[in-house]
Amino acid sequence: MRRRSIVVAVDGRELELTNLEKVLYPRAGFTKAEVIDYYRRVAAVMLPHLRGRPVTLKRWPDGVEAPAFFEKQCPRHRPPWVRVAPVASSGKRPVVEYCRIDDLPALVWVANLAALELHVTLGTADAPDTPRAAVFDLDPGPPAGLRECAVTALRIRSALERRGLQAFAKASGKSGLHVYVPINAPATFEETRALARGVARELEAETPQAVTTVMRKELREGKVFVDWSQNHARKTTIAVYSLRGTAEPRASTPLRWDEVEELAASGPERWIERLRAERVLERVEREGDIFAPVLELRQPLASPQQ
Amino acid sequence: MARAIWTGTISFGLVNVPVKMYTATRSKDIRFNQLHVRDGSRIQVRRFCAAEGIEVPPEEIVRGYEIRPGEYVTVTEDELAALAPELTEGIEIQEFIELREIDPVYFEHSYYLVPDKGGQKAYALLRQAMEQAKRVALGRVVMRGREYLTAIRAAGPVLVMSTLYYADEVVSVAELEGLPGETVQATEREVAMAQQLIEALAAPFEPEKYRDEYREAVLQLIEEKAAGKTVVPMAPKRAEAAPPVDLVKALEESIALAKERAKRTA
Repeated sequence: MRRRSIVVAVDGRELELTNLEKVLYPRAGFTKAEVIDYYRRVAAVMLPHLRGRPVTLKRWPDGVEAPAFFEKQCPRHRPPWVRVAPVASSGKRPVVEYCRIDDLPALVWVANLAALELHVTLGTADAPDTPRAAVFDLDPGPPAGLRECAVTALRIRSALERRGLQAFAKASGKSGLHVYVPINAPATFEETRALARGVARELEAETPQAVTTVMRKELREGKVFVDWSQNHARKTTIAVYSLRGTAEPRASTPLRWDEVEELAASGPERWIERLRAERVLERVEREGDIFAPVLELRQPLASPQQ
Repeated sequence: MARAIWTGTISFGLVNVPVKMYTATRSKDIRFNQLHVRDGSRIQVRRFCAAEGIEVPPEEIVRGYEIRPGEYVTVTEDELAALAPELTEGIEIQEFIELREIDPVYFEHSYYLVPDKGGQKAYALLRQAMEQAKRVALGRVVMRGREYLTAIRAAGPVLVMSTLYYADEVVSVAELEGLPGETVQATEREVAMAQQLIEALAAPFEPEKYRDEYREAVLQLIEEKAAGKTVVPMAPKRAEAAPPVDLVKALEESIALAKERAKRTA
């Protein structure tokens, strides 16, 4: 007989897993059990990036070929040990209680909800107005693609180096790249926004045919859109190591700069395979968390950017 | 009979056919009103200025196009009106093509064209000629201030006009990932087997066989509620109290089971 639900023990917590054999990525035949297993195995490196943050869930209850929905308010049927982060909101509820994913049981619980994607803010629940990092969201307008994003990411890295700042890259897991500037020192979103806007506009002025800061899809054909506006207390970005609701089970994967250089030189053929869940786990086993400096490196923003 | 939504003439060569246009399809989505749960009164939408928090009268609202976060170009109604295509009353036929050349992805909305006063003869002629030539007319029409590309075809007794998407509105296949390329080839035997299965399931197109069951269920719910029956949402099922299993063991078993099943059906 087919078991539709099973109670499991995870680090001393009991929780009910449902429909484990349900295929969530039909093209890859990737089941919910495999999704939960991915999150279980990536937890050691992923949890530090989730801990203490309000997490927005994007859920695909019927798999990636069916509709998805965003869930900010942590589901009311949550187990009592899942903590929440209350955040004042301008929306229809005055306060939204986001899920906090601080430990393995909570991560397994949201994975069981088919929350394939976990999106986090740049600040923490305790200090929502203090960005821990600045982010550049690089989104290519076709026919530009991952390769053009890599070229732009390298230029952002150089522009930041000139300002004395180190940056780290990750694949969005879809078609773009994200560049993070660790801060981990007192800063405001006005400051991180000014930094990101300054760099983005500089690149746009140098090569208006390749880079744009205009968000409208129809005005960015063949260009890389550098979105600096993600540097806002309320905006969220896909968490590092989160799976994506793409046709194949891929994750938002941290990349070494030499890989970004390789991508910029050669293009994304077969390269996208590196973002597959099982490859990401292999990478983590080999290299550990190459994104850890984003949480640790202290880079106070000096005097205001000109 | 429904009201015509447009009247004008089809013109090609020296022939003009006066026609009236009716919508050919209607969506049957169930529409709900929004009510205030506490007193059941209707919810009104008002426009507020995000900065001042005051209601804004329509004359103070302009269209803005966001060019980058927080920066807008404003455009007035007059500027848009100056760009709008000339208001012609006609459908100008440009060329005749074969219907099968139009991929169905191009079809947007369909309308019936019916002869208007004095148009009977010319309408019948056009319909009959197109039917016999097995060709479809491609034309342009201005409706609601916008110019559309349309295809007009003879469908039994009536001319059907469909508005078409412009080529740049159709998403390019090149944007898709993961399509099997030339390198992925099924064997002849596999294709023959798949074709046999297709033949076994071959049937005429009978759309009336299919119904929107979700819509029917929603209507039934509404009817029952209206009739005064209490409708209680289904309570989520409780799990039977089984002793907890180790997470890794549960996942490994499930993955093995799924792999096994995939192998059997492959």
